[in-house]
Amino acid sequence: MKLILLDIDASARRNFDPVGLSRPLFELRTGITNLAEKLIAKTKPDSVACFIPEYLAPVYRTETAWPVNDMSQLADDDILLVNPIIKADALNPACDKSSEVVLAEDGTLLYACVRAGDVGKIEGACINSWVDNARAVLPNVKANLPTWNYAWDLMLANPDQLTVDFGVLGNSGIEGTVEQPNAIRGSSKDVFIAPGAVVHPMVVFDAEHGPIYIDENVEIHPFTRIEGPCYVGKNSILLGAKCREGNSIGPFCRVGGEVEESIIQGHSNKYHDGFLGHAYVGEWVNLGAMTTNSDLKNDYGSVSVILDGSRPVDTGSNKVGSLIGDHTKTSIGTLFNTGSMVGAMALIMATGEPLPKFIPSFAWFLKGVTTKGFGKKKLYGTARTAMSRRGKEFTDEHEAMFDAIFELTAGPRLTAIQKGRKQMAAR
Amino acid sequence: MATVEDRVKAVTAKTLNIDAADIQVEHSFTFDLGAESVQSVELVAMFEEEFGIEMDEDAALSVETIGSASEFIARVCVEQGVAIEG
Repeated sequence: MKLILLDIDASARRNFDPVGLSRPLFELRTGITNLAEKLIAKTKPDSVACFIPEYLAPVYRTETAWPVNDMSQLADDDILLVNPIIKADALNPACDKSSEVVLAEDGTLLYACVRAGDVGKIEGACINSWVDNARAVLPNVKANLPTWNYAWDLMLANPDQLTVDFGVLGNSGIEGTVEQPNAIRGSSKDVFIAPGAVVHPMVVFDAEHGPIYIDENVEIHPFTRIEGPCYVGKNSILLGAKCREGNSIGPFCRVGGEVEESIIQGHSNKYHDGFLGHAYVGEWVNLGAMTTNSDLKNDYGSVSVILDGSRPVDTGSNKVGSLIGDHTKTSIGTLFNTGSMVGAMALIMATGEPLPKFIPSFAWFLKGVTTKGFGKKKLYGTARTAMSRRGKEFTDEHEAMFDAIFELTAGPRLTAIQKGRKQMAAR
Repeated sequence: MATVEDRVKAVTAKTLNIDAADIQVEHSFTFDLGAESVQSVELVAMFEEEFGIEMDEDAALSVETIGSASEFIARVCVEQGVAIEG
């Protein structure tokens, strides 16, 4: 059976802004693994392919071995098409029996089983028309299956997912280097330190309330305290960090200060002190010293997030910190309000006060207002420098992808810039 | 009726907190008038607000003097169909 990951709903995927702007939704993390890895573990396919928005395809092709947006993959095999927003635990396709299209109550395609014998009945020049045709030709079934609907859903589920994933992966014990003295609270069976990881003296692993997974080549500096459940990705460095429970830290991150129930996708730095709580941070983000987000309102009420610059969405949770897009940089002392939405490629200068809850992608937030700043070319130059410091290249494909994101996010940014000009003029 | 140059001087004076009478057409924003990088961004925003135009930030930030800013803004006003003299 071939698994086709189907991230083609241009409207619904914007609910995962800003971290979904620059990657397929199935690359988003929750727990130790990403959504694609969870779906593959659940369905055990013989092969995998994917369909994603065209503007993401050139970059993603350089990051994956899977065929991307290749219509020839829709042939000659039993196919399971899966919308990556479906929670893997809830996915129980009966593809060995008959072909069917499974829809949510609102008509959203959740998944489709297409037997090899039925593939030839479905035509379509592009994936959207192929899926429309499949819905017309094959039996449709309504199902009420749980889905990820917003980026904060992944963050809020992170502690539970970490514990589940630790059990699924089944690793335990110390295979890396642990310099003494160190301490493990709880059961040592709930701690895994992978080969190549180096733990300096005076580090505490508190696994009493959840497992701790330290991946390959992680380096943990003295006076770091890690509460489980927690995952630290390959080649990351913890610098005297206070890692409260429920963190997933992706590969090649540098993390210090206090972090709680947050996801950091990878290649991002929060080197210094400052609190990051109930946040989802993208890649190549740099949070300046003492950057802090609030994750709890003073009235303990439900937190809303302004996704599109105008429409607050009630998260239903009283703990939501910040959502920060790829390549965004904050100055020292930046203060983010509860439920802040900070776009991709934004550059933020602190004001000493909590910033607006919505800061658009490509914003230069200076002196308390959104400006055009020095433009996107300067931001690309910074991205190029940041990536080269880690041996990566900001390619022409990256630039084209971010050009597309610049256009996708233009409306709210222009509104914020115009508002900022009026605020400046009124001073 | 204020000319483009008069309005550019007035906006520059307010943004950089200097006296408009001290600003000359050949003055450089950075070397003569002391604009720091963030103030350059403010100046671009304030010119856009004053004249009701949208400027390409790269082109706008490459302008160095009061005189060349006046010429640049006048050209953008014409391109965008905005009345030049306020």
